Amino acid sequence: MIKAEPKTILSFLWTYFEVLRDLFDLQQDNEVIRKEAFQAVLHQHKKDIKLQLMEYKIVRQVNDDYELRDVYYKLIEFILFEFRPLLPEEIDKFGNAITELFRKIKKGVDSDRDILLERLKALSVQIKEFSDAVEKNSIRLLNETRDLKGNVHRVDYREKIQKASFWIEYYIIPLNRILDVNHSQSISNKLLNISEFANQRRLNYDDEGVRQAFEKLYHLLIQTNDDVLRQSKILTNELLPLIERIRTESQILTGWIEFLKNPYRVTPPKLLKMELDSPYSNKIYLNTFEYFEQFTGSDDAIIDDDQEETERWIFKKKKYKEELVKSLPIVNFFEWCNKQLKSEDKHITNEKLFALTCLLFEDDLEVTAYNKDATVKIKTETANLNVPKLKVTQNGIPAES
Amino acid sequence: MEYPQNHRRIVEELTTGKFILSRDKHFEELVQKEEFYAEFFKVSFDYILNITTEYAFLISKETDENMSRDISIFFAIFCYELDKQGKNFLDGLQYAEYSFEEINILFDNSSYIDLIQSNKQLKDAEARRRLIFSTMARKNIIEKVNEDRFYFTPAYKVFTEFAKVLSNQRSMEESVEE
Repeated sequence: MIKAEPKTILSFLWTYFEVLRDLFDLQQDNEVIRKEAFQAVLHQHKKDIKLQLMEYKIVRQVNDDYELRDVYYKLIEFILFEFRPLLPEEIDKFGNAITELFRKIKKGVDSDRDILLERLKALSVQIKEFSDAVEKNSIRLLNETRDLKGNVHRVDYREKIQKASFWIEYYIIPLNRILDVNHSQSISNKLLNISEFANQRRLNYDDEGVRQAFEKLYHLLIQTNDDVLRQSKILTNELLPLIERIRTESQILTGWIEFLKNPYRVTPPKLLKMELDSPYSNKIYLNTFEYFEQFTGSDDAIIDDDQEETERWIFKKKKYKEELVKSLPIVNFFEWCNKQLKSEDKHITNEKLFALTCLLFEDDLEVTAYNKDATVKIKTETANLNVPKLKVTQNGIPAES
Repeated sequence: MEYPQNHRRIVEELTTGKFILSRDKHFEELVQKEEFYAEFFKVSFDYILNITTEYAFLISKETDENMSRDISIFFAIFCYELDKQGKNFLDGLQYAEYSFEEINILFDNSSYIDLIQSNKQLKDAEARRRLIFSTMARKNIIEKVNEDRFYFTPAYKVFTEFAKVLSNQRSMEESVEE
């Protein structure tokens, strides 16, 4: 017995929905709400509502733990559209109930009116529950598949294959069998038979009340058949190809990743290896072309010319300084360098010329530039240099004019 | 004995390593005379004729391993990179058309760049152009739309099937280990 007013309970649900949602999530994950988790949720929301939850019969205690009562669990499940995927066996039970009720309705159609009406009502309830269960399952399976497709949980390809295979094998294919109207044992097929029966009886049954009950059942069945057909189409046209595709793609990618780890150790797919051709064969051109083509992309080759062995030039500073001092005063320093180098082996290089310039920095020599425009051209083996015209004299001794 | 109208074409194409595709007129003739051709190629060249609903090709005892491996690496990286971009690579193989530039971008930005650069047929744009527009085109694995664009023919399935087999082998090895 619940003492509280219905509106009070509804208001409580509205006020503390966030708490209920967290409890629902816990139960969805673990089937029950562990005592510690239950207290943690209440503590987290700073709501001390355990008493009301029990009093309004929203939650019940299971040993030391708790659980949301079925009616509230289903309500929240429905509001959040977060359905638990039903195993085909769970859906199949509606089929058994429907079959049994229909058998009894047919058998007792002309006997007791009241029990017939009760059975017709019960049959309608089972059909509605069946239709609801199928719809919820399709929604859940579609969500699961889309999550898998978008890889929301970031699982690797191999896990993806396993999950896709799991959904196909245990949920989608069996559900499809239940919904397949062409299958004689499917629930859809049974509903069609019931529909035919109800259609006849709604027109020709003597009692008006029973006629109306058959009329209701008939319209419910038309609606249910449409719904089931729609769900069946979702399964066969969307869900099954999508999940099959995920499975195939993941399988191929797993294979490729495995292959790319070391492509040179795996034997690749077999292709035709052409035999050698005679030079006069009309295929010789293309085959030769193809053969040589595999080498055309080879690495760049660097050809290093053999060079004559020459004695390496070493800058002997002391020697050149003596030569320079002997020639003082020098009117044009670079011209002197040029003559000096030519007199040796005629190979004037940038390296030799620049080495000689270090003589300009000797303390006992004085270097004077003429003016900015006075330059001299020196030709080396690799360049034409435009260098300033410099006068060099002994430090402290004025140059002759 | 009366030979099919396109007998020479069938033999020439298959013995030069081409895939004959189901859209080709002579594919129909080949399928109708499958038994004859299977025996013909076996007895004449010791080749095995492979016919699916979408393509036909020959397999020799010795295989052109280098080329097959290069093409496999191409498809592996292509599928991997397309998937990385969140695209459906099976649709990409089956329905899409590509420009050479798109392929280059895909390969130049691949995380398998070391492997790409060490492979002579994939290492740079020029090599890739040769592989796609010359080697793969000649084998009917791709169809050129123009000098810059192409799409894959169903012959790509030889390579994706190969990947599936590898994946299954790996699963089996793992289950044995467990």
